[in-house]
Amino acid sequence: MAINTEKLGVVLQNFVTATNDVQGAALVTPDGLPLAACLPGGMDDERVSAMSAAILSLGERIGTELSRGGIDRIYVEGNQGYAILTSCGDDAVFLVLASASAKQGILMLEIKRSISELKLLLA
Amino acid sequence: MSTVAIPVANQLRAELGDFSSIVCFKAVVVGIEEALGEKAAAISLIAAGRNRGKQLAEQLGLTGKGIDSAEIVPLLQSALGKEGTRLCIVDKIVEIGESIQVSCRETICSAGEPQGSPRNLTFTLGAIQGVLEQTTGKRLRGKQTESVLRGGTHDVINFEVLG
Repeated sequence: MAINTEKLGVVLQNFVTATNDVQGAALVTPDGLPLAACLPGGMDDERVSAMSAAILSLGERIGTELSRGGIDRIYVEGNQGYAILTSCGDDAVFLVLASASAKQGILMLEIKRSISELKLLLA
Repeated sequence: MSTVAIPVANQLRAELGDFSSIVCFKAVVVGIEEALGEKAAAISLIAAGRNRGKQLAEQLGLTGKGIDSAEIVPLLQSALGKEGTRLCIVDKIVEIGESIQVSCRETICSAGEPQGSPRNLTFTLGAIQGVLEQTTGKRLRGKQTESVLRGGTHDVINFEVLG
């Protein structure tokens, strides 16, 4: 059955608008293709998708090569905010962009909730 | 034949010409794989191929034209084959229901690999995907289904619409 990208887009849109300090989100395939995205203007979803999948894959390699085990999440902290990449099952990678003022605990909880919702749509 | 102008003469380098050996290309691929891992390298090479394919489709005037095999195959043969950049020879593009099957041979990705090698197409797959995405206006996902390295006569890629 084909993936309903429209529904995925709605979930992402709701996540971005309803979660404090979240500025954007994207769901991409593990091979770097965009499934759905709700990103700030000026960001190219195709480039973001390839980058996200490559970073997660690189993280997995770091986990193996440097004996860190399986990787659940990659966390990039810049002075203007966070980029968090989370594995969303075998079929997708979830990227969340948040401002520097975001409360990390709440953010992680919201990401976890959204992933459960997204996984159902990907199943 | 085609009206597409692919430079045959040495336009980019005066003495060495516009072509470089597959040996160097393969060394780039293997080097990236060693640094980033096979998966991240494949993602990057496919993404690079897609960009190249989209650019090529635009140059060939194929944007939004839909899959007309009789038109696209000769254009791609001209642009990517012996008279073009020599990435590969595209022999066939067939629409099967919602998916598109492309058969190509002498691909740069499979060149120089021993029989039985598990290597799959990356840049070549991306380039063809980019052309087809630009041509159809749809996002596709490509999967290699046959390989000349594993008993096939062609490297065959199956593209399905994403979403």
